[in-house]
Amino acid sequence: MVPPLSDILKRSASADAINWLNGEVVALRSDFNQRRFYYAFSGVSRHFDKTARVNVEAGDLDSLDAPCPGFTLAGWDEFRLARVILLTVLAEQPTDIYQSTLEKVLGSADLREQVAIFSALPLLPDPDFLVTLARDGSRTNIVDVFDAIALDNPFPAAHFPEEAWNQLVLKALFISRPLYRMEGIDDRANPTLAEALSNLAHERWAAGRVVSAELWRSCANCLTDSIASDIERVAVSDEPGDREAAALIVAEDTTGRFAAIREPLGDLIDAARSGDLTWESLGRQLASA
Amino acid sequence: MRFFDSHVHMVSRTTDDYQRMAAAGVAALIEPSFWQGQPRTEPGSFKDYFNSLIGFERFRASQFGIKHYCTIGLNPKEANNEKLADAVMELLPLYICKEGVVGIGEIGFDDQTAMEEKYLRIQALMALEADLPIQIHTPHRDKKTGTIRTMDVLEDVGCDPAKVIIDHNNEETVKAVLDRGYWAAFTIYPHTKLGNERMVEIMREYGSERIVVDSSADWGISDPLAVPKTAALLREHGVSLEKIEQVTYYNPLTAYGQSGQVQESDWEDTEGIDPTALFAGNTLLRGGQDIKEAMGGDLIIR
Repeated sequence: MVPPLSDILKRSASADAINWLNGEVVALRSDFNQRRFYYAFSGVSRHFDKTARVNVEAGDLDSLDAPCPGFTLAGWDEFRLARVILLTVLAEQPTDIYQSTLEKVLGSADLREQVAIFSALPLLPDPDFLVTLARDGSRTNIVDVFDAIALDNPFPAAHFPEEAWNQLVLKALFISRPLYRMEGIDDRANPTLAEALSNLAHERWAAGRVVSAELWRSCANCLTDSIASDIERVAVSDEPGDREAAALIVAEDTTGRFAAIREPLGDLIDAARSGDLTWESLGRQLASA
Repeated sequence: MRFFDSHVHMVSRTTDDYQRMAAAGVAALIEPSFWQGQPRTEPGSFKDYFNSLIGFERFRASQFGIKHYCTIGLNPKEANNEKLADAVMELLPLYICKEGVVGIGEIGFDDQTAMEEKYLRIQALMALEADLPIQIHTPHRDKKTGTIRTMDVLEDVGCDPAKVIIDHNNEETVKAVLDRGYWAAFTIYPHTKLGNERMVEIMREYGSERIVVDSSADWGISDPLAVPKTAALLREHGVSLEKIEQVTYYNPLTAYGQSGQVQESDWEDTEGIDPTALFAGNTLLRGGQDIKEAMGGDLIIR
């Protein structure tokens, strides 16, 4: 059908459901029509189990047609994977049909359907066309939809222009999403984003509020004097993760500007150098708190 | 005691209504697509309306522990604008197979025009294609003729009466509808449709088989508690608990359950508001006094 995705789906789904999906894939490939696609895409809910997690094994995605670093199916339910399979079949159609059908389906999608569409982005063609859809989608207030775009998804880092990437990171912080799950978070760091993040921290501090310690991750390689003084402030904070964040930045710093805070952060800096403390481990720790 | 109101237009109701419905034991409801008091002029208005039925309204209901389902369709009032109606027919396939869409509805006749019949036929065919139940709106004017004509059209298209719920019945239509094998729904709606004292009499005559009670509460003067109130009134008049549960819960569940998109386990596993916690055991039906207070004093809807 659509290996390797269909092989993964087969592990958890019922034989009836797989047969139905296979029939739809064959029919759509031999004689595509939009109505059939609409019925199949929505109709996934009639055949699969939304509570069943798909069962992914190591190496499963090695045989994808195009390599897709960072793409993962971890945590997906059957609805999501079955719909992503149908979207890859839609993507085989001529560009105008593919694009117009995808726009119509997205424009009428329920929550789970939106999640499936945005999860499929790394596998679909015409990234320029998809960026517009994904940027619109990321303006949602529905956390599951935002997560499908921003978390565990390599598409934004690979294709969002800088201003869109920066907004995505800022919004993730605003709605308390874990930044360590944003693919490419370090690669896409930039001075404009670092300044916006520092401004966000100052705004929160002025209001007597806290910011996630993960915020400083995208500042690590864009240390202005102003941000460096933010780090000095964070280094003596009692908020969860703040001292760890400061230690991670100081451990990488080669300018010697953080002399004053090296001493009190000593143990944490050692942990950062040994790899016991990473942005990943800090993110996990904050997310589980 | 739990209730399933299979016809209520929640987009027109407030959160106070949701709270009162949840407290009175409404566990699940169906919101049919309808007009909104004035005709829409653009297809996009339908698209956004359908999106709200499968999106925000579902979410809003969930905040109160109520499971929200819907039926999707072009209502007969707006079927007389052919250009608009054709555009809506293009939209419907995007929605009818979605999760939680339990039927095509509410469709049928209003003025009983040729145009209304055209879109009733198209949508009945779509229901066959998608293997979905149909929720029928029967007309306010010349109701008996319109109801029979609706059944004639549906049978001509090839619909199975067991998969069709005909709504807004009254004493004049019920016999023909039941005799032909359809589900007969009754809307307890003050002034313009059916008061619930009349419902007591109808159940005395026709029993509870294939009979459904709903509220059709909407943007007009109507009552989102019509189903629990009618249940309590039926109980006061000595109707058995079993029959009451049939018409206010199990029958609509069975009828719309044919879509495969609604089953009792959808809300049994969730932590909704437990009406028994508020009404202590089954006092909703057994202790009439408490219920009257909870419902605002009067069970009778005239």
